[in-house]
Amino acid sequence: MIHDSIIRPNLVTGDKNLHDVTSEICRPIENKPSVSWKVGFTISAIFLGLLLLTLGITLYVGIGTWGLNKTVQWGWDITNFVFWVGIGHAGTLISAILLLFRQKWRMSINRSAEAMTIFAVMCAAIFPLFHMGRIWVGGYWVFPLPNAFGSLWVNFHSPLLWDVFAISTYFSVSLVFWYLGLIPDIATVRDRATTAGRKFWYNFFSMGWTGSVRTWNRYEVVSLILAGISTPLVLSVHTIVSMDFATSVVPGWHTTIFPPYFVAGAIFSGFGMVLTLLVIARKVMNYQDYITIGHLEAMCKVVMLTGTMVGLAYITEFFVAAYSGVEYEQYAFINRATGPYWWAYWSMMTCNLIAPQVFWFKWARTTPWFIFMLSIVVNVGMWFERFVIIVTSLHREYLPSGWVMYSPTLVEIGIFLGSFGLFFTCFFLFSKFLPVINIAEVKGILKNRE
Amino acid sequence: MIDSKLFLDKNKTVMFGIFENPEQFLDTVSKVHHKGAQIIDCYTPFPMHGIEKAMGLKRSLLPVGAFICGCIGFLTAATLQSYTMHFDWPMIIGNKPTVGVSYVPVLFEMTVLFTAFGIAILFFTRSKMLHGKMPSERIDFRQTDDRMVIAIATDNNAVDKNELSNMLFSGGAVLVKERTNNGYEDFTEVEIKSAN
Repeated sequence: MIHDSIIRPNLVTGDKNLHDVTSEICRPIENKPSVSWKVGFTISAIFLGLLLLTLGITLYVGIGTWGLNKTVQWGWDITNFVFWVGIGHAGTLISAILLLFRQKWRMSINRSAEAMTIFAVMCAAIFPLFHMGRIWVGGYWVFPLPNAFGSLWVNFHSPLLWDVFAISTYFSVSLVFWYLGLIPDIATVRDRATTAGRKFWYNFFSMGWTGSVRTWNRYEVVSLILAGISTPLVLSVHTIVSMDFATSVVPGWHTTIFPPYFVAGAIFSGFGMVLTLLVIARKVMNYQDYITIGHLEAMCKVVMLTGTMVGLAYITEFFVAAYSGVEYEQYAFINRATGPYWWAYWSMMTCNLIAPQVFWFKWARTTPWFIFMLSIVVNVGMWFERFVIIVTSLHREYLPSGWVMYSPTLVEIGIFLGSFGLFFTCFFLFSKFLPVINIAEVKGILKNRE
Repeated sequence: MIDSKLFLDKNKTVMFGIFENPEQFLDTVSKVHHKGAQIIDCYTPFPMHGIEKAMGLKRSLLPVGAFICGCIGFLTAATLQSYTMHFDWPMIIGNKPTVGVSYVPVLFEMTVLFTAFGIAILFFTRSKMLHGKMPSERIDFRQTDDRMVIAIATDNNAVDKNELSNMLFSGGAVLVKERTNNGYEDFTEVEIKSAN
């Protein structure tokens, strides 16, 4: 029944049996939160408060509280939107694409990566929603509802509307996928529950799961179908996000390379964030036997590959601009590298193309503190990539009279920092109330199962 | 194979074999099935590959349902877009056709959306899963932790009860018990053999 490979090391170390896996992964749920959890949660909640405050100011005063101007109509808001959507790409990639490729190392990390996807997409959604200004009438602008004054509908020719459909589909399908994966584990927690509250809530969400083989049989079919449809979905989401830019006529945006380049960048930044979180979580929650150095190494390889892909895209963009002979394009790229925002461009190049190359060395891929540092570099680099694409392309117009500089206001900075508060508050709650590792799937790859 | 709803029928007797070793469990399930006994269901804490064959389960028809849901999603998106952009209020932008390739992204997204939600709803319906439902077929509290359970119908069974319990026990069961359903959630349980 188990086809063990002789050459591959165990995916779960520590010679654990089935019961060990259950009790170790359920430990944070069944015990009182640790001091580190409380400290982390409190800091995150403070930043979440900052988010609510700055969004409140935005709603009360208006979009004028942001640093946008007549030329740079998209600034930190869309930079942060694309940044968070990109981070949301690793979860579904790990659980869907790696499932189709039968990569069993995904099993210890898919749950937390999927959770990250959902929280990151929630953070992303804040920015375009609040950029609309009066979000309470936003339903007319983003969803196909008939206009009160006649039959004027939303424009399905617009990539911005495609984005509404792509992001909301991605969010809801990821949520279904995540919840479906959680049901057997919620049932495990339910059957071990000792308090009335835990018995009630875990019973409520476990939907009467008993581990019946008939249900498992269907469950496997459903997982495979969801993985099959999520794979093109995850690729489509960032493709469509890239079309928000690529279908325009702004020099620096009007590029056919954008879809694959954005998808590679999204996977790159997603894995960067997964590494940031899991290097810490495996240590704090004592999950080193489940999320092993082997897992970190595999993720580092993905980071290196996708980092090199985006690096290649940066250089290709330059080449295409030079080869096209279009002076507006040429100027846009020269201005990126040598203009007033040169520091953003070179931060991006250093963090995304050069830094991940250290993962050619095994030491770099297998040393957790170093991986953590580099994952932060990747996150920073990918934020700068979006800033470079959006702001440096917009701040120069065809007419020099439109040339301006853009800098964020305190409110914009507050919303950005606050979005991290939302993300981490959700992640801390998730790590306290739900199994961070997929218990059922990990049991399937154990060697000693007695 | 018989339908699992028999499980809750009144006056039915079911024999349970509870195991702790997945390999022994799988072997025993296969032997019981080949002996001709009616396996109602098995319960495992993790998806065990090969057990559906050992139990003689048929392939699920859920993919057909998923396909139908996907088609509904595709048609919904096509109808929505062509109605709003072409029939109700033709929106001509840059002299581009009101029906065209710009429909593709939303067609794709809605196909995926309907497939995902459709398959999830079909799965929950087919498996009789509902929020807050009590797990009626919980034989052992550890069946979602580290134990595996086989449930065999023993009324009018082709195999003798004693032979069956011996088979389960020699196959590695830690506990073999029999349960008679007296009515709604009222069971009489008899322990036949235990390893301890």
